[in-house]
Order: sequence, then C-alpha cells, then structure tokens
Amino acid sequence: MIAGLGLLVGIILGLMLQPDVPLWLEPYLPIAVVAALDAVFGALRAFLDGIFDDKVFVISFISNVLIAALIVYLGDKLGVGGQLSTGVIVVLGIRIFSNVAAIRRHIFHA
Amino acid sequence: MAAERAGTTHTPAVLPPQVTMGLLDYITAHSLDQDYAPVSERTASERDPRQPGTGLAALVILGLFGLLVATAAVQTSRNAVQEADGHDQLATQITARRTQVDSRRQRVTELREEVDTLQTQYLQASTQGRQLSTRLSRLEVRTGAAAVTGPGVRVVVGDNPQATDSLQRVLDKDLQKLANALWASGAEAISINGQRLSNLSAIRHAGSAITVNGRSLEAPYTVLAIGNPDAIPARFADTEHGLEWFNLKAAYGLQFDMTPEESLKVPAARDLDLRHARTLEERP
Repeated sequence: MIAGLGLLVGIILGLMLQPDVPLWLEPYLPIAVVAALDAVFGALRAFLDGIFDDKVFVISFISNVLIAALIVYLGDKLGVGGQLSTGVIVVLGIRIFSNVAAIRRHIFHA
Repeated sequence: MAAERAGTTHTPAVLPPQVTMGLLDYITAHSLDQDYAPVSERTASERDPRQPGTGLAALVILGLFGLLVATAAVQTSRNAVQEADGHDQLATQITARRTQVDSRRQRVTELREEVDTLQTQYLQASTQGRQLSTRLSRLEVRTGAAAVTGPGVRVVVGDNPQATDSLQRVLDKDLQKLANALWASGAEAISINGQRLSNLSAIRHAGSAITVNGRSLEAPYTVLAIGNPDAIPARFADTEHGLEWFNLKAAYGLQFDMTPEESLKVPAARDLDLRHARTLEERP
C-alpha cells in the first residue's frame, strides 16, 4: 500500500518540521482538513468500489480544500462569521459518514 | 392551443435528482464524487479493472493530506499552550494591579489623616484659627463629612407586609419626603441604612431597589436622625411631608415607627471629594 506510506511520510514530516502557519491562514486550516478528509474517504471508497482514478482524486482533493477555504473567507467578508463554515462542516460531515459507511460495508460486508 | 399546453404539462418531466430530492437526502445519496464513475468507465477498456491505478499523484496528495493534518494538530496544540499562557499572564496582572490599588487606597487614607492632623495643628495655633476650626467642624456635621454621635430619633419604615401594588411599597420619593421632613423638623445629620446623607446625596430608584449615594438598600429602611429627640417627633407631625407620611401609613399600610434614642451614631459620607476648591495664593 504505497498510498498509506505517503500518508505516513506526510504525518511524520509535519510532526518533525512543525511548519509555522501564518496568521492569516490559520482560520482556514481546520476546515481545509475536514474538506481533505472528505476527499480522502471518497477516494478510499472509490478504491474499494474499484473505480478509483488518480486524476479525479487529485482534482477533488485540491478543489475541496480550496472551496472550503473560499467559503470561510467569504463568510468572514460577508460578516456571517462561522455560520457558513458550519454549513460546510454539516455537508462534508454527512458525506464523510456515508462514505465511511460504504467503506465499512466493503470491508466487513455488513 | 390550450389543449396542447395542457398536454405538455401532463407528461411527467424527468427532473434531475438534485431537484426532486431533499438536500440532505441528495448529499447522503451522492456522497461519492460523481467523477469517479464516468472516468473509470472511460478508462476501463484501457486497463485491467481489478487493478485500479494508484499512482504517484495519489501518493503525493496523500502525503500532502498527512502534512495538513499534522500541521493542524501541531498548530492547535500550540495555540492551546499560548492561550493558557495568556490566561495565566492576565490573572497575574489582575492580582498585581489589585494589590497596587489596595496599597494606593491605603496611602489615600494615610494622607487624609495626615491632612486632618496638620489642619488641626495649624488651626489650633491662633484664635482666628480656632474659630475657623469650630466653623469647620460645624460644617462637617452639616455636609456629612464627619461621623456624628448624639441623641436623636430612629425611624423604621417598611413596605406593607401584604403588598400587592407598587404603591404599597416604600418608594424613593417616600424616602425623600421622610428625609425632608426630618431636616425640616430640626435633624442635624441623617443616615439611611448606614448611608449618610450629605449635601450631594441622591435617593433614587434603580430597578426595584432604592439607592442612596449610589448603593442599593433593602427594606426595611432604618433612618437615623441626630437632633433633639423631644422636639423632632412633635415638629415632624407639623411638617407637610410628615403629614403625608401619616397619610401613607393610613392609606397604604406602610410601616412607620419613630422612637427617640439617647445615643445614635451616624457615619461619615463616603466619597466626599473636593470638586471646586483651589488653594489660596500664598502671600509673601
């Protein structure tokens, strides 16, 4: 599982380097992680479904992260604050749950 | 024409699922990115379907994902530490400032006492000064700057015990009338529940409580008035506001009880600050 290796390397790299996040980027980080999580679980499900594709994964990951950050930015500028982010979290949360449910069905056949 | 239009509306239009389904149902049903299916169909003919491709790009993106998660975790824990630090610092600052305020307050009291002793010393030195000193202490009694003891009357007023209406409670204006009646019947110093009435005191309503000198009081109100204990009750009944109080007692059942006392102690008013005074220009 080369992909798992990539994940591991990324985590170790992050823990070792401990990169300084600039202050203006900080509010986007948590929601970007949630968006990325959605893309990764989607990819895992697609992989188990046998329809995984590199290009689709890359594009969905990057676009998810960017759109999530954009929505947070827009919320800040519009003055609705965290409420737009709440919407994003709800939608992504539902997707993550149903994708994980599909993955579970694949692995445990239950 | 009309028939034609009716015909078209009756044929069930095939609407896309995002229109007919509820939003949350739609999200649940289409939780997988819809691009995976058509792309895999398109490329299925080109490679073995049981070996879906996980190439270098996916590896890099997953590495990026790991980096993102680790960074977010590190940042969050770092922020938590910073917040705790900030909180501790604020707490220390508050304690330090509080100590400072306490010591300054102490210093103010010390200085005030020093001023008093110096003033007494200075005034006792000459005949004119002694006269001035007498006048000063008389004024201090009148204005509430000095604590006073002496004979007087104790007036206890309170709400009607079965009060249902706000008129059956003691209002700020009732206390104002009481104080005015006592002044008019010869009281020299008055305190309400331990709050000395100075010439700057206000008796006001704030919410449901009555405040005197900006401090809220609770019923029953004990009004101490220093003065001639034999004369005050008789003169009280003659004043306009005193009569009003007897009416209040009869009409609304307010409690009112006046007793002469041999010795009462009325404290000095708080926070009497100089506002308009200035020093005389020193003569050579």
